Amino acid sequence: MPRHASPVSDGVAAAALPTRGAGRRSARVRPYALTGGRTQFGHVLLVETFVAAIDGPEDRLEILSGDWAERVMPEMRAIVELCRRMRSVAEISALLRMPLGVVRVLLSDLADQGRIRVYGTGHAPGAPDHALLERVLSGLRRL
Amino acid sequence: MRKILIVGAGQAGLQLALGVQSKGYEVTLMSNRTPAEIRNGRVMSTQCMFHTALQHERDLGINSWEDQAPRIEGLGVSVTAPDGSRPIDWVGHLDAYAQSVDQRVKMAGWMETFAARGGRLVIHGVAVSDLDYLSRTYDLVLVAAGKGELVSMFGRDDSRSPYDSPQRALAVSYVHGLAPRPEHPDLHAVRLNLVPGAGELITIPALTTSGPCDILFWEGLPGGPMDVFDGVKEPAEILRTTLDLIRRYLPWEYDRARDVELTDAGSTLTGRFAPVVRNPVGELPSGGLVLGVADVVVANDPITGQGSNSAAKCAASYLDSITEHGDKLFDREWMQSTFDRYWDDAQHVTKWTNALLGPPPEHVLGLIGAAGQIPAVANRFANGFDDPADFEQYFFEPARTAAYLAKAASAQS
Ligand SMILES: Cc1cc2nc3c(=O)[nH]c(=O)nc-3n(C[C@H](O)[C@H](O)[C@H](O)COP(=O)(O)OP(=O)(O)OC[C@H]3O[C@@H](n4cnc5c(N)ncnc54)[C@H](O)[C@@H]3O)c2cc1C
Repeated sequence: MPRHASPVSDGVAAAALPTRGAGRRSARVRPYALTGGRTQFGHVLLVETFVAAIDGPEDRLEILSGDWAERVMPEMRAIVELCRRMRSVAEISALLRMPLGVVRVLLSDLADQGRIRVYGTGHAPGAPDHALLERVLSGLRRL
Repeated sequence: MRKILIVGAGQAGLQLALGVQSKGYEVTLMSNRTPAEIRNGRVMSTQCMFHTALQHERDLGINSWEDQAPRIEGLGVSVTAPDGSRPIDWVGHLDAYAQSVDQRVKMAGWMETFAARGGRLVIHGVAVSDLDYLSRTYDLVLVAAGKGELVSMFGRDDSRSPYDSPQRALAVSYVHGLAPRPEHPDLHAVRLNLVPGAGELITIPALTTSGPCDILFWEGLPGGPMDVFDGVKEPAEILRTTLDLIRRYLPWEYDRARDVELTDAGSTLTGRFAPVVRNPVGELPSGGLVLGVADVVVANDPITGQGSNSAAKCAASYLDSITEHGDKLFDREWMQSTFDRYWDDAQHVTKWTNALLGPPPEHVLGLIGAAGQIPAVANRFANGFDDPADFEQYFFEPARTAAYLAKAASAQS
Protein backbone atom coordinates (compact mmCIF):
# COMPACT_ATOMS: atom_id res chain seq x y z
CA MET A 1 0.00 0.00 0.00
CA PRO A 2 1.39 3.42 -0.82
CA ARG A 3 2.64 5.27 2.19
CA HIS A 4 0.33 8.18 1.70
CA ALA A 5 -2.91 6.23 1.49
CA SER A 6 -5.29 6.96 4.36
CA PRO A 7 -2.85 7.71 7.17
CA VAL A 8 -5.91 7.96 9.40
CA SER A 9 -7.39 4.56 9.42
CA ASP A 10 -9.09 1.83 11.30
CA GLY A 11 -7.35 -1.34 12.34
CA VAL A 12 -7.71 -2.92 8.92
CA ALA A 13 -5.78 -0.24 7.12
CA ALA A 14 -3.47 0.46 10.03
CA ALA A 15 -0.44 -0.51 7.96
CA ALA A 16 -0.86 2.79 6.15
CA LEU A 17 0.00 4.77 9.26
CA PRO A 18 3.32 6.55 9.00
CA THR A 19 6.01 3.95 9.45
CA ARG A 20 9.58 3.74 8.41
CA GLY A 21 9.88 1.75 5.28
CA ALA A 22 10.05 1.24 1.58
CA GLY A 23 10.02 4.18 -0.75
CA ARG A 24 11.09 6.62 1.90
CA ARG A 25 14.70 5.71 2.39
CA SER A 26 16.09 8.65 0.50
CA ALA A 27 14.11 11.09 2.63
CA ARG A 28 15.61 9.69 5.80
CA VAL A 29 18.15 11.80 7.57
CA ARG A 30 21.29 9.75 7.81
CA PRO A 31 23.67 11.05 10.39
CA TYR A 32 26.76 9.32 9.07
CA ALA A 33 29.28 11.33 10.98
CA LEU A 34 28.28 10.76 14.55
CA THR A 35 30.75 11.66 17.21
CA GLY A 36 30.40 9.74 20.40
CA GLY A 37 27.47 7.98 18.80
CA ARG A 38 24.96 10.67 19.61
CA THR A 39 23.24 13.14 17.35
CA GLN A 40 21.31 16.05 18.78
CA PHE A 41 18.37 13.71 19.27
CA GLY A 42 19.97 10.42 20.20
CA HIS A 43 21.21 7.40 18.34
CA VAL A 44 19.82 6.57 14.93
CA LEU A 45 20.47 2.92 14.45
CA LEU A 46 19.37 1.86 11.00
CA VAL A 47 19.58 -1.84 10.21
CA GLU A 48 22.68 -1.09 8.15
CA THR A 49 24.33 1.10 10.78
CA PHE A 50 27.72 -0.23 11.89
CA VAL A 51 28.77 -0.44 15.49
CA ALA A 52 31.83 -1.83 17.25
CA ALA A 53 32.93 -2.34 20.84
CA ILE A 54 35.28 0.23 22.25
CA ASP A 55 38.45 -1.52 23.36
CA GLY A 56 38.84 -1.72 27.07
CA PRO A 57 39.86 -4.06 29.83
CA GLU A 58 38.10 -7.39 29.73
CA ASP A 59 36.30 -6.72 32.99
CA ARG A 60 34.85 -3.35 32.09
CA LEU A 61 31.32 -4.64 31.88
CA GLU A 62 31.57 -5.69 35.51
CA ILE A 63 31.47 -2.02 36.48
CA LEU A 64 27.81 -2.08 35.53
CA SER A 65 25.65 -2.49 38.53
CA GLY A 66 22.06 -2.07 39.56
CA ASP A 67 18.80 -3.62 38.72
CA TRP A 68 18.62 -2.84 35.02
CA ALA A 69 22.18 -3.90 34.36
CA GLU A 70 21.59 -7.23 36.06
CA ARG A 71 18.44 -7.88 34.09
CA VAL A 72 20.05 -7.24 30.73
CA MET A 73 23.58 -8.34 31.55
CA PRO A 74 23.71 -11.53 29.50
CA GLU A 75 22.40 -9.81 26.40
CA MET A 76 24.65 -6.78 26.86
CA ARG A 77 27.63 -9.03 27.27
CA ALA A 78 26.71 -11.00 24.17
CA ILE A 79 26.44 -7.83 22.12
CA VAL A 80 29.77 -6.45 23.29
CA GLU A 81 31.38 -9.83 22.61
CA LEU A 82 29.97 -9.91 19.08
CA CYS A 83 31.04 -6.34 18.43
CA ARG A 84 34.73 -7.04 18.85
CA ARG A 85 34.63 -6.64 15.09
CA MET A 86 32.43 -4.23 13.28
CA ARG A 87 28.82 -5.39 12.97
CA SER A 88 25.68 -4.00 11.48
CA VAL A 89 22.57 -3.70 13.63
CA ALA A 90 20.86 -6.28 11.43
CA GLU A 91 23.72 -8.75 11.93
CA ILE A 92 23.58 -8.45 15.70
CA SER A 93 19.84 -9.04 15.71
CA ALA A 94 20.14 -12.07 13.44
CA LEU A 95 23.18 -13.65 15.13
CA LEU A 96 21.76 -13.28 18.64
CA ARG A 97 18.19 -14.05 17.54
CA MET A 98 17.11 -10.96 19.36
CA PRO A 99 14.23 -8.72 18.18
CA LEU A 100 15.50 -5.66 16.35
CA GLY A 101 13.89 -3.25 18.81
CA VAL A 102 15.62 -4.90 21.73
CA VAL A 103 18.98 -4.67 19.96
CA ARG A 104 18.37 -0.99 19.30
CA VAL A 105 17.51 -0.27 22.95
CA LEU A 106 20.52 -2.18 24.27
CA LEU A 107 22.89 -0.64 21.73
CA SER A 108 21.67 2.84 22.69
CA ASP A 109 22.41 2.01 26.29
CA LEU A 110 25.87 0.65 25.48
CA ALA A 111 26.66 3.67 23.34
CA ASP A 112 25.58 6.04 26.11
CA GLN A 113 27.90 4.17 28.46
CA GLY A 114 30.74 4.51 26.00
CA ARG A 115 31.03 0.75 25.49
CA ILE A 116 30.31 0.73 21.81
CA ARG A 117 30.86 3.28 19.08
CA VAL A 118 28.25 4.00 16.43
CA TYR A 119 29.90 4.43 13.05
CA GLY A 120 26.81 5.21 11.00
CA THR A 121 26.21 3.73 7.60
CA GLY A 122 29.15 5.37 5.93
CA HIS A 123 27.14 6.96 3.18
CA ALA A 124 25.50 10.32 2.58
CA PRO A 125 21.75 10.89 2.25
CA GLY A 126 20.41 9.35 -0.92
CA ALA A 127 23.80 7.97 -1.93
CA PRO A 128 24.07 4.36 -0.81
CA ASP A 129 27.57 3.08 -0.48
CA HIS A 130 27.43 -0.22 -2.29
CA ALA A 131 30.56 -1.59 -0.73
CA LEU A 132 29.12 -1.13 2.73
CA LEU A 133 25.70 -2.46 1.82
CA GLU A 134 27.52 -5.44 0.36
CA ARG A 135 29.24 -5.95 3.71
CA VAL A 136 25.93 -5.97 5.51
CA LEU A 137 24.54 -8.47 3.07
CA SER A 138 27.53 -10.75 3.17
CA GLY A 139 27.53 -10.53 6.94
CA LEU A 140 23.95 -11.73 6.87
CA ARG A 141 24.67 -14.45 4.33
CA ARG A 142 27.36 -15.92 6.58
CA LEU A 143 24.79 -16.62 9.28
CA MET B 1 16.07 4.56 39.74
CA ARG B 2 12.76 3.40 38.25
CA LYS B 3 12.94 2.66 34.54
CA ILE B 4 10.01 3.38 32.28
CA LEU B 5 9.60 2.48 28.61
CA ILE B 6 7.20 4.53 26.49
CA VAL B 7 6.22 3.47 22.97
CA GLY B 8 4.99 6.21 20.64
CA ALA B 9 6.05 9.84 20.37
CA GLY B 10 2.70 11.60 20.03
CA GLN B 11 0.92 14.03 22.34
CA ALA B 12 0.47 11.42 25.07
CA GLY B 13 3.77 9.54 24.80
CA LEU B 14 5.93 12.64 24.64
CA GLN B 15 4.08 14.61 27.30
CA LEU B 16 4.31 11.62 29.60
CA ALA B 17 7.98 11.02 28.74
CA LEU B 18 8.85 14.64 29.49
CA GLY B 19 6.73 14.47 32.64
CA VAL B 20 8.24 11.36 34.21
CA GLN B 21 11.68 12.53 33.09
CA SER B 22 11.20 15.76 35.05
CA LYS B 23 10.32 13.68 38.12
CA GLY B 24 13.64 11.87 37.94
CA TYR B 25 12.60 8.59 36.33
CA GLU B 26 14.85 7.02 33.73
CA VAL B 27 12.88 7.02 30.49
CA THR B 28 13.36 5.27 27.18
CA LEU B 29 11.08 6.55 24.41
CA MET B 30 10.63 4.51 21.24
CA SER B 31 9.36 6.28 18.13
CA ASN B 32 8.90 4.87 14.66
CA ARG B 33 10.07 8.13 13.13
CA THR B 34 12.90 10.61 13.70
CA PRO B 35 12.13 14.26 14.47
CA ALA B 36 13.18 15.20 10.94
CA GLU B 37 10.89 12.58 9.42
CA ILE B 38 7.98 13.88 11.49
CA ARG B 39 8.71 17.51 10.65
CA ASN B 40 9.02 16.76 6.93
CA GLY B 41 6.14 14.30 6.86
CA ARG B 42 2.45 14.86 6.54
CA VAL B 43 0.01 16.43 8.95
CA MET B 44 -1.58 14.07 11.46
CA SER B 45 -4.44 15.98 13.08
CA THR B 46 -6.03 19.38 13.52
CA GLN B 47 -5.05 19.18 17.24
CA CYS B 48 -7.01 22.14 18.59
CA MET B 49 -6.33 22.19 22.34
CA PHE B 50 -8.33 24.04 24.95
CA HIS B 51 -7.30 25.62 28.24
CA THR B 52 -7.10 22.62 30.57
CA ALA B 53 -4.97 20.63 28.13
CA LEU B 54 -2.74 23.62 27.35
CA GLN B 55 -2.25 24.16 31.08
CA HIS B 56 -0.85 20.63 31.42
CA GLU B 57 1.81 21.61 28.87
CA ARG B 58 2.53 24.87 30.71
CA ASP B 59 2.90 22.94 33.97
CA LEU B 60 5.75 20.96 32.37
CA GLY B 61 7.31 24.02 30.73
CA ILE B 62 6.84 22.56 27.25
CA ASN B 63 4.46 25.21 25.85
CA SER B 64 7.22 26.35 23.51
CA TRP B 65 4.96 27.69 20.73
CA GLU B 66 2.44 29.55 22.87
CA ASP B 67 3.66 32.98 21.72
CA GLN B 68 3.58 32.09 18.03
CA ALA B 69 0.32 30.17 17.71
CA PRO B 70 -2.91 32.09 17.07
CA ARG B 71 -5.01 32.55 20.21
CA ILE B 72 -8.41 31.07 19.56
CA GLU B 73 -10.89 33.12 21.59
CA GLY B 74 -14.17 31.83 20.20
CA LEU B 75 -16.03 28.80 18.97
CA GLY B 76 -18.87 29.28 16.52
CA VAL B 77 -21.65 27.12 15.14
CA SER B 78 -23.38 27.72 11.81
CA VAL B 79 -26.04 25.52 10.26
CA THR B 80 -26.86 25.61 6.59
CA ALA B 81 -30.36 25.25 5.11
CA PRO B 82 -30.99 23.68 1.69
CA ASP B 83 -31.33 27.17 0.13
CA GLY B 84 -27.82 28.08 1.30
CA SER B 85 -29.02 30.37 4.09
CA ARG B 86 -27.78 30.20 7.67
CA PRO B 87 -30.71 29.69 10.06
CA ILE B 88 -28.28 29.21 12.95
CA ASP B 89 -25.13 31.28 13.23
CA TRP B 90 -23.42 32.28 16.45
CA VAL B 91 -20.06 32.37 18.18
CA GLY B 92 -19.41 31.64 21.84
CA HIS B 93 -16.49 33.16 23.71
CA LEU B 94 -13.95 30.93 25.40
CA ASP B 95 -13.04 31.86 28.98
CA ALA B 96 -9.40 31.13 28.13
CA TYR B 97 -7.91 30.79 24.69
CA ALA B 98 -7.35 27.58 22.74
CA GLN B 99 -4.43 26.87 20.39
CA SER B 100 -3.52 24.43 17.65
CA VAL B 101 0.19 23.74 17.09
CA ASP B 102 0.82 21.39 14.15
CA GLN B 103 1.86 18.07 15.69
CA ARG B 104 4.72 17.91 13.19
CA VAL B 105 6.20 21.01 14.82
CA LYS B 106 5.37 20.04 18.38
CA MET B 107 6.34 16.37 18.38
CA ALA B 108 9.62 16.94 16.54
CA GLY B 109 10.48 19.74 18.97
CA TRP B 110 9.49 17.77 22.05
CA MET B 111 11.54 14.76 20.91
CA GLU B 112 14.60 16.96 20.67
CA THR B 113 13.87 18.47 24.09
CA PHE B 114 13.48 15.01 25.58
CA ALA B 115 16.82 13.87 24.15
CA ALA B 116 18.56 17.12 25.12
CA ARG B 117 17.37 16.61 28.72
CA GLY B 118 19.12 13.25 28.71
CA GLY B 119 16.24 10.98 27.72
CA ARG B 120 16.99 7.91 25.66
CA LEU B 121 15.24 8.10 22.30
CA VAL B 122 15.28 4.94 20.21
CA ILE B 123 14.00 5.07 16.64
CA HIS B 124 12.20 1.83 15.97
CA GLY B 125 8.76 0.64 14.90
CA VAL B 126 8.02 -1.47 17.95
CA ALA B 127 6.63 -4.98 17.57
CA VAL B 128 5.06 -7.22 20.21
CA SER B 129 8.21 -9.38 20.16
CA ASP B 130 10.27 -6.36 21.25
CA LEU B 131 7.89 -5.66 24.13
CA ASP B 132 7.89 -9.28 25.16
CA TYR B 133 11.57 -8.97 26.03
CA LEU B 134 11.63 -5.34 27.11
CA SER B 135 8.73 -5.69 29.57
CA ARG B 136 10.99 -7.92 31.66
CA THR B 137 13.66 -5.27 31.91
CA TYR B 138 11.58 -2.15 32.63
CA ASP B 139 9.53 -1.40 35.73
CA LEU B 140 6.70 -0.09 33.55
CA VAL B 141 5.88 -0.23 29.83
CA LEU B 142 3.40 2.30 28.46
CA VAL B 143 1.99 1.93 24.94
CA ALA B 144 1.07 5.35 23.51
CA ALA B 145 1.20 4.33 19.86
CA GLY B 146 -2.08 5.94 18.77
CA LYS B 147 -4.04 3.98 16.21
CA GLY B 148 -1.05 1.87 15.11
CA GLU B 149 -0.93 -1.91 14.95
CA LEU B 150 0.01 -2.33 18.61
CA VAL B 151 -3.63 -1.67 19.56
CA SER B 152 -4.22 -5.33 18.72
CA MET B 153 -2.77 -6.11 22.17
CA PHE B 154 -5.73 -4.37 23.81
CA GLY B 155 -9.14 -5.98 23.58
CA ARG B 156 -12.12 -3.88 22.55
CA ASP B 157 -14.53 -2.91 25.34
CA ASP B 158 -17.84 -3.56 23.61
CA SER B 159 -19.90 -2.05 26.41
CA ARG B 160 -18.20 1.31 25.86
CA SER B 161 -17.91 1.15 22.04
CA PRO B 162 -21.33 1.72 20.43
CA TYR B 163 -19.96 1.99 16.87
CA ASP B 164 -18.15 -0.74 14.99
CA SER B 165 -17.50 1.21 11.80
CA PRO B 166 -16.21 4.69 10.96
CA GLN B 167 -18.90 7.38 11.40
CA ARG B 168 -17.19 10.05 9.31
CA ALA B 169 -14.85 10.25 6.33
CA LEU B 170 -12.12 12.78 7.16
CA ALA B 171 -10.30 15.23 4.91
CA VAL B 172 -7.89 17.85 6.21
CA SER B 173 -6.09 20.69 4.37
CA TYR B 174 -3.72 23.18 6.00
CA VAL B 175 -3.89 26.49 4.11
CA HIS B 176 -2.51 30.00 4.03
CA GLY B 177 -4.71 32.87 2.91
CA LEU B 178 -8.05 32.14 4.57
CA ALA B 179 -9.70 35.51 5.21
CA PRO B 180 -11.42 36.18 8.58
CA ARG B 181 -15.19 35.97 8.87
CA PRO B 182 -16.29 39.50 7.89
CA GLU B 183 -18.60 39.72 10.91
CA HIS B 184 -15.66 39.16 13.31
CA PRO B 185 -12.54 40.37 11.52
CA ASP B 186 -10.39 40.40 14.64
CA LEU B 187 -11.53 37.19 16.31
CA HIS B 188 -9.69 33.88 15.95
CA ALA B 189 -12.36 31.23 16.29
CA VAL B 190 -13.00 27.59 15.56
CA ARG B 191 -15.99 27.40 13.21
CA LEU B 192 -18.26 24.39 13.16
CA ASN B 193 -20.38 24.47 10.02
CA LEU B 194 -23.09 21.83 10.01
CA VAL B 195 -24.64 20.53 6.81
CA PRO B 196 -27.55 18.47 8.20
CA GLY B 197 -27.50 14.88 7.09
CA ALA B 198 -24.26 15.30 5.13
CA GLY B 199 -21.38 16.36 7.36
CA GLU B 200 -19.47 19.17 9.00
CA LEU B 201 -16.78 21.62 7.94
CA ILE B 202 -14.56 22.71 10.80
CA THR B 203 -12.10 25.56 10.37
CA ILE B 204 -9.31 26.06 12.88
CA PRO B 205 -6.60 28.74 13.12
CA ALA B 206 -3.27 26.99 13.72
CA LEU B 207 0.52 27.25 13.70
CA THR B 208 2.33 25.07 11.18
CA THR B 209 5.90 24.66 9.90
CA SER B 210 5.56 27.80 7.76
CA GLY B 211 3.86 29.95 10.41
CA PRO B 212 0.24 30.80 11.25
CA CYS B 213 -2.31 29.14 8.98
CA ASP B 214 -5.86 27.81 8.97
CA ILE B 215 -7.10 24.26 8.72
CA LEU B 216 -10.09 23.23 6.59
CA PHE B 217 -11.45 19.96 7.92
CA TRP B 218 -14.39 18.08 6.35
CA GLU B 219 -16.15 15.38 8.32
CA GLY B 220 -18.48 13.57 5.90
CA LEU B 221 -21.12 10.98 6.70
CA PRO B 222 -20.16 7.69 5.04
CA GLY B 223 -21.82 7.43 1.65
CA GLY B 224 -22.83 11.11 1.71
CA PRO B 225 -21.76 14.00 -0.53
CA MET B 226 -18.57 14.71 1.48
CA ASP B 227 -17.44 11.10 1.43
CA VAL B 228 -15.53 11.58 -1.82
CA PHE B 229 -11.90 11.60 -0.73
CA ASP B 230 -11.08 7.91 -0.94
CA GLY B 231 -8.39 7.39 -3.51
CA VAL B 232 -7.70 11.12 -3.84
CA LYS B 233 -3.95 11.26 -3.31
CA GLU B 234 -2.73 14.55 -4.71
CA PRO B 235 -2.74 17.31 -2.07
CA ALA B 236 -3.86 19.84 -4.68
CA GLU B 237 -6.79 17.66 -5.59
CA ILE B 238 -7.78 17.19 -1.95
CA LEU B 239 -7.86 20.97 -1.56
CA ARG B 240 -9.78 21.43 -4.82
CA THR B 241 -12.40 18.89 -3.72
CA THR B 242 -12.57 20.50 -0.26
CA LEU B 243 -13.20 23.92 -1.82
CA ASP B 244 -15.77 22.56 -4.30
CA LEU B 245 -17.77 21.14 -1.41
CA ILE B 246 -17.49 24.39 0.55
CA ARG B 247 -18.71 26.38 -2.46
CA ARG B 248 -21.72 24.09 -2.90
CA TYR B 249 -22.81 23.78 0.72
CA LEU B 250 -21.34 26.69 2.66
CA PRO B 251 -21.20 29.79 0.45
CA TRP B 252 -20.30 32.07 3.38
CA GLU B 253 -17.18 30.04 4.07
CA TYR B 254 -16.30 29.89 0.38
CA ASP B 255 -16.31 33.69 0.29
CA ARG B 256 -13.28 33.79 2.53
CA ALA B 257 -11.60 30.67 1.16
CA ARG B 258 -11.31 31.50 -2.55
CA ASP B 259 -7.64 32.45 -2.48
CA VAL B 260 -6.22 29.82 -0.16
CA GLU B 261 -3.06 27.83 -0.89
CA LEU B 262 -1.77 24.67 0.74
CA THR B 263 0.93 25.34 3.32
CA ASP B 264 3.32 22.61 2.11
CA ALA B 265 3.57 19.27 0.34
CA GLY B 266 2.50 17.36 3.48
CA SER B 267 -0.43 19.60 4.35
CA THR B 268 -3.29 17.19 3.63
CA LEU B 269 -4.68 14.09 5.28
CA THR B 270 -7.60 11.82 4.46
CA GLY B 271 -8.96 8.65 6.01
CA ARG B 272 -11.46 7.26 8.49
CA PHE B 273 -11.53 5.19 11.66
CA ALA B 274 -14.11 3.72 13.98
CA PRO B 275 -14.35 5.19 17.48
CA VAL B 276 -13.43 2.61 20.10
CA VAL B 277 -12.72 2.09 23.80
CA ARG B 278 -10.31 -0.72 24.66
CA ASN B 279 -9.28 -2.62 27.74
CA PRO B 280 -6.31 -0.76 29.20
CA VAL B 281 -4.05 -3.69 30.11
CA GLY B 282 -2.27 -5.63 27.37
CA GLU B 283 -0.82 -9.04 28.08
CA LEU B 284 2.30 -10.21 26.30
CA PRO B 285 3.01 -13.80 25.25
CA SER B 286 5.53 -14.07 28.11
CA GLY B 287 2.93 -12.88 30.60
CA GLY B 288 4.32 -9.35 30.93
CA LEU B 289 1.82 -6.50 31.20
CA VAL B 290 1.70 -3.18 29.39
CA LEU B 291 -0.59 -0.21 29.97
CA GLY B 292 -2.30 1.57 27.05
CA VAL B 293 -2.34 5.37 26.90
CA ALA B 294 -4.69 7.91 25.24
CA ASP B 295 -5.82 6.95 21.69
CA VAL B 296 -4.69 3.36 22.25
CA VAL B 297 -7.41 2.94 24.88
CA VAL B 298 -9.95 5.65 24.04
CA ALA B 299 -10.17 6.82 20.41
CA ASN B 300 -13.07 9.18 19.70
CA ASP B 301 -14.11 10.62 16.36
CA PRO B 302 -12.44 14.04 15.85
CA ILE B 303 -15.80 15.79 15.34
CA THR B 304 -15.51 17.36 18.80
CA GLY B 305 -11.78 18.04 18.52
CA GLN B 306 -11.01 16.23 21.74
CA GLY B 307 -8.35 13.58 20.99
CA SER B 308 -5.23 15.56 21.74
CA ASN B 309 -6.99 17.28 24.66
CA SER B 310 -7.77 13.83 26.01
CA ALA B 311 -4.22 12.67 25.29
CA ALA B 312 -2.88 15.58 27.35
CA LYS B 313 -5.34 14.87 30.17
CA CYS B 314 -4.52 11.16 30.08
CA ALA B 315 -0.78 11.84 30.23
CA ALA B 316 -1.26 14.24 33.15
CA SER B 317 -3.46 11.77 35.03
CA TYR B 318 -1.09 8.83 34.43
CA LEU B 319 1.85 10.99 35.56
CA ASP B 320 0.11 11.56 38.90
CA SER B 321 -0.71 7.87 39.25
CA ILE B 322 2.90 6.90 38.52
CA THR B 323 4.51 9.33 40.96
CA GLU B 324 1.97 8.64 43.72
CA HIS B 325 2.74 4.92 43.45
CA GLY B 326 6.30 5.47 44.64
CA ASP B 327 8.46 2.36 44.63
CA LYS B 328 5.63 -0.16 44.59
CA LEU B 329 5.14 -2.68 41.81
CA PHE B 330 3.27 -1.49 38.72
CA ASP B 331 0.94 -4.50 38.68
CA ARG B 332 -2.34 -5.20 36.90
CA GLU B 333 -4.36 -3.68 39.69
CA TRP B 334 -2.42 -0.43 39.54
CA MET B 335 -2.77 -0.35 35.74
CA GLN B 336 -6.53 -0.85 35.89
CA SER B 337 -7.01 1.81 38.57
CA THR B 338 -4.76 4.23 36.68
CA PHE B 339 -6.99 3.86 33.64
CA ASP B 340 -10.19 4.05 35.73
CA ARG B 341 -9.02 7.34 37.18
CA TYR B 342 -8.54 8.72 33.64
CA TRP B 343 -11.83 7.24 32.42
CA ASP B 344 -13.64 9.12 35.20
CA ASP B 345 -13.16 12.23 33.09
CA ALA B 346 -12.73 10.65 29.64
CA GLN B 347 -16.15 8.97 29.73
CA HIS B 348 -17.84 12.35 29.32
CA VAL B 349 -15.82 13.07 26.18
CA THR B 350 -16.77 9.72 24.68
CA LYS B 351 -20.45 10.07 25.53
CA TRP B 352 -20.72 13.61 24.13
CA THR B 353 -18.67 12.86 21.00
CA ASN B 354 -20.65 9.73 20.18
CA ALA B 355 -23.87 11.71 20.68
CA LEU B 356 -22.77 14.35 18.15
CA LEU B 357 -22.09 11.67 15.54
CA GLY B 358 -25.76 10.70 15.37
CA PRO B 359 -28.60 12.83 14.02
CA PRO B 360 -29.28 15.63 16.52
CA PRO B 361 -32.43 15.07 18.59
CA GLU B 362 -35.07 17.80 18.78
CA HIS B 363 -33.92 19.21 22.13
CA VAL B 364 -30.32 19.55 20.93
CA LEU B 365 -31.45 21.45 17.85
CA GLY B 366 -33.44 23.68 20.18
CA LEU B 367 -30.36 24.24 22.32
CA ILE B 368 -28.12 25.11 19.39
CA GLY B 369 -30.80 27.44 18.06
CA ALA B 370 -31.28 29.12 21.43
CA ALA B 371 -27.54 29.80 21.65
CA GLY B 372 -28.04 32.29 18.80
CA GLN B 373 -30.48 34.24 20.96
CA ILE B 374 -28.84 33.86 24.34
CA PRO B 375 -25.08 34.57 24.42
CA ALA B 376 -24.69 32.84 27.79
CA VAL B 377 -25.80 29.58 26.19
CA ALA B 378 -23.37 30.02 23.29
CA ASN B 379 -20.57 30.71 25.74
CA ARG B 380 -21.38 27.71 27.88
CA PHE B 381 -21.50 25.43 24.84
CA ALA B 382 -18.13 26.77 23.60
CA ASN B 383 -16.49 26.26 26.99
CA GLY B 384 -17.80 22.70 27.07
CA PHE B 385 -15.03 21.88 24.61
CA ASP B 386 -12.60 22.56 27.43
CA ASP B 387 -14.60 20.62 30.02
CA PRO B 388 -16.99 18.17 28.34
CA ALA B 389 -18.21 16.90 31.73
CA ASP B 390 -20.35 20.06 31.85
CA PHE B 391 -22.58 18.70 29.06
CA GLU B 392 -23.94 16.20 31.59
CA GLN B 393 -25.74 19.12 33.22
CA TYR B 394 -27.87 20.21 30.27
CA PHE B 395 -27.14 18.45 26.97
CA PHE B 396 -28.38 14.86 27.01
CA GLU B 397 -31.73 14.92 28.81
CA PRO B 398 -34.52 16.94 27.13
CA ALA B 399 -35.93 17.94 30.52
CA ARG B 400 -32.57 19.26 31.72
CA THR B 401 -32.05 21.16 28.46
CA ALA B 402 -35.48 22.77 28.80
CA ALA B 403 -34.86 23.71 32.42
CA TYR B 404 -31.47 25.21 31.61
CA LEU B 405 -32.79 27.20 28.64
CA ALA B 406 -35.68 28.56 30.70
CA LYS B 407 -33.25 29.70 33.36
CA ALA B 408 -30.81 31.20 30.87
CA ALA B 409 -33.60 33.05 29.06
CA SER B 410 -34.99 34.58 32.24
CA ALA B 411 -31.50 35.58 33.40
CA GLN B 412 -31.11 37.50 30.16
CA SER B 413 -34.40 39.36 30.20
C1 LIG C 1 -8.28 14.37 11.13
C2 LIG C 1 -8.10 14.48 12.60
C3 LIG C 1 -8.37 15.67 13.25
C4 LIG C 1 -8.22 15.79 14.63
N1 LIG C 1 -8.49 16.98 15.23
C5 LIG C 1 -8.32 17.12 16.57
C6 LIG C 1 -8.54 18.37 17.22
O1 LIG C 1 -8.87 19.39 16.60
N2 LIG C 1 -8.37 18.44 18.56
C7 LIG C 1 -7.97 17.36 19.28
O2 LIG C 1 -7.82 17.49 20.49
N3 LIG C 1 -7.74 16.17 18.70
C8 LIG C 1 -7.90 16.02 17.35
N4 LIG C 1 -7.65 14.83 16.76
C9 LIG C 1 -7.25 13.67 17.57
C10 LIG C 1 -5.80 13.73 18.00
O3 LIG C 1 -4.95 14.01 16.92
C11 LIG C 1 -5.40 12.39 18.59
O4 LIG C 1 -6.40 11.91 19.44
C12 LIG C 1 -4.10 12.51 19.38
O5 LIG C 1 -3.05 12.84 18.52
C13 LIG C 1 -3.80 11.21 20.09
O6 LIG C 1 -2.56 11.28 20.71
P1 LIG C 1 -1.74 9.97 21.04
O7 LIG C 1 -0.47 10.42 21.64
O8 LIG C 1 -2.60 9.03 21.79
O9 LIG C 1 -1.50 9.25 19.65
P2 LIG C 1 -0.78 9.78 18.32
O10 LIG C 1 -0.81 11.26 18.25
O11 LIG C 1 -1.37 9.00 17.21
O12 LIG C 1 0.74 9.34 18.53
C14 LIG C 1 1.16 8.00 18.44
C15 LIG C 1 2.58 7.96 17.94
O13 LIG C 1 3.07 6.62 18.02
C16 LIG C 1 3.73 6.29 16.82
N5 LIG C 1 3.67 4.83 16.65
C17 LIG C 1 2.64 4.08 16.21
N6 LIG C 1 2.96 2.77 16.21
C18 LIG C 1 4.24 2.70 16.66
C19 LIG C 1 5.13 1.62 16.89
N7 LIG C 1 4.77 0.35 16.65
N8 LIG C 1 6.36 1.89 17.35
C20 LIG C 1 6.75 3.16 17.60
N9 LIG C 1 5.94 4.22 17.41
C21 LIG C 1 4.69 4.00 16.95
C22 LIG C 1 2.99 7.07 15.76
O14 LIG C 1 3.76 7.25 14.61
C23 LIG C 1 2.72 8.37 16.49
O15 LIG C 1 3.80 9.25 16.36
C24 LIG C 1 -7.79 14.69 15.37
C25 LIG C 1 -7.49 13.48 14.73
C26 LIG C 1 -7.64 13.37 13.37
C27 LIG C 1 -7.33 12.08 12.70
